[in-house]
Amino acid sequence: MSICLKLMNKMSCKVICLLALLTFNVQAQEGHFADPLKIHGFVAQGVIDVDNSNFVNDDGEISLKLTEIGLNTSYQLSDDYRFAAQAVYLNGGNRYNEGLRIDYFLIDWNAYSSEQWQANLYVGRFKNAHWLHSSTRDIPFARPSILLPQGTYFDGFRDIAIGGDGAALKLTYNSDEYGEFDFNFSRGKSPIDSDDSEVILSNFAQGNIEHELDTQASFYWRPVFSQWRFGLTLLDSEFNYMGESPDFFVDGRFVFQFYTMNALYEGEHWEFTTEILQTRFLTEGFYAPQYHQDNIGQGGYFQAVYKVDQQLKFIGRYENFYTNKDDKQGDKLQQQSFGTVPDYFAYQHDAMLGFSYDFSDGLRVNAEYHWVKGTARLNPIVLPNPEANSEHWKMWAIQLMYWF
Amino acid sequence: MVLAVFFGSPTIYAVDVITNITADTASITTTQLRRIYSMRQIKWANGVPITIFVLSSTHPTHQKFCKDTLRLFPYQLDRIWDKLTFSGMGISPTVVMSEKALIKAVQSTTGAIGYIENINEVSDVNLLKIDE
Repeated sequence: MSICLKLMNKMSCKVICLLALLTFNVQAQEGHFADPLKIHGFVAQGVIDVDNSNFVNDDGEISLKLTEIGLNTSYQLSDDYRFAAQAVYLNGGNRYNEGLRIDYFLIDWNAYSSEQWQANLYVGRFKNAHWLHSSTRDIPFARPSILLPQGTYFDGFRDIAIGGDGAALKLTYNSDEYGEFDFNFSRGKSPIDSDDSEVILSNFAQGNIEHELDTQASFYWRPVFSQWRFGLTLLDSEFNYMGESPDFFVDGRFVFQFYTMNALYEGEHWEFTTEILQTRFLTEGFYAPQYHQDNIGQGGYFQAVYKVDQQLKFIGRYENFYTNKDDKQGDKLQQQSFGTVPDYFAYQHDAMLGFSYDFSDGLRVNAEYHWVKGTARLNPIVLPNPEANSEHWKMWAIQLMYWF
Repeated sequence: MVLAVFFGSPTIYAVDVITNITADTASITTTQLRRIYSMRQIKWANGVPITIFVLSSTHPTHQKFCKDTLRLFPYQLDRIWDKLTFSGMGISPTVVMSEKALIKAVQSTTGAIGYIENINEVSDVNLLKIDE
């Protein structure tokens, strides 16, 4: 399965062509009301400008590296089996590796279905459906802002966090008395190619990093007729780095554990969201054979959205993130690195204001401004670059998007 | 009580719910309707798969149906459907262009469900009684 999916990565272009062909086929079949074949997609292009940080580019100029294109298909094979796939092209500058990828490619088996219960098993490459925005983080119109809070949705980990090759289970239960319950469980691993390694580990890393099997679970509850929804998520994953000779780094092992709690309120005009997180990031080796670091990071954000009418909405968000809860000001970080890594690489706080306007069904513009303090969530995360990144940095972005 | 204030009287429905005759059901509860439209129930009690037809989310009938019948805001349903569609975890309802097309789709599709104003003009569909 894993080898097949690696090959699929190289065949992304062909898959996009195939999906385009299927789109044509669907158009040719218009008039069939319940077609088993469904096609959807999106195109988004933006402008982004970042001052005093290399979040997007190294020269600090206004950039067009804010492109997202996607096409997906779903085909109902029978009452209980369905095939689904999505290919995307992304260009976000330094945020993640530019290019095509297969986001998901799976068989969905509806194993059990009743008025109260539903159980689905997804096998193949599945998308991470655990966090509040994880399954729509690269879908421009389905996420709350152009840039998501980096504490939880760090762009550098995008390709690892977006999903995995393996299996996922979704179990839903509906109670007329207690509300709606969702339980998700998944096990899988993400293929990491050399371009991904470079984004995360810098171009000094000559070796290979491998994602060992990771386990994720989440639980969501919406009380009966409530406008609130609450969730809990858990992630446990491990990565191994195999150094080459010669190499700037040595063999290493990383353990990444991630726990979040979230709450969402959906009112007619107001919408409130919060996600609180705790991470454990264990590093053994990598920088030196005896190197050992075990940090507990913490963070969270609060977001408010005000919908003026059906077209216009305003958004505001404040996020805090610390890589080590016992070193929130970064003193130890600076000390342990003999001054080479400034203290502000220990945290990242982001205040954001923005708006979105819908011109029509499927056509929207988003705009936002960020004031950021700290640089803990900038690539390459293992090799901070103090020359390109100041403690205080700002950015604005505007993105136009179309979807169907 | 709070919801009733927000959404008006729960017993008066401005929009009627219709199904294909194969759905084999005469009445439905509001919670069951919410389950169906949020894709949490995908088969009828007799095992027939449910096919959902909707108007665009800006259509006045859709808005009335969401708020008055489902007691949900249209954007909440859009969010659920987009999440399913773009994560590969499920499918979203089929959007039709007009109420006339919606009636035709429900009439001709096994297990279909839809909604419509002015039910007097429609035949060959089940008109569901909505129980609290």
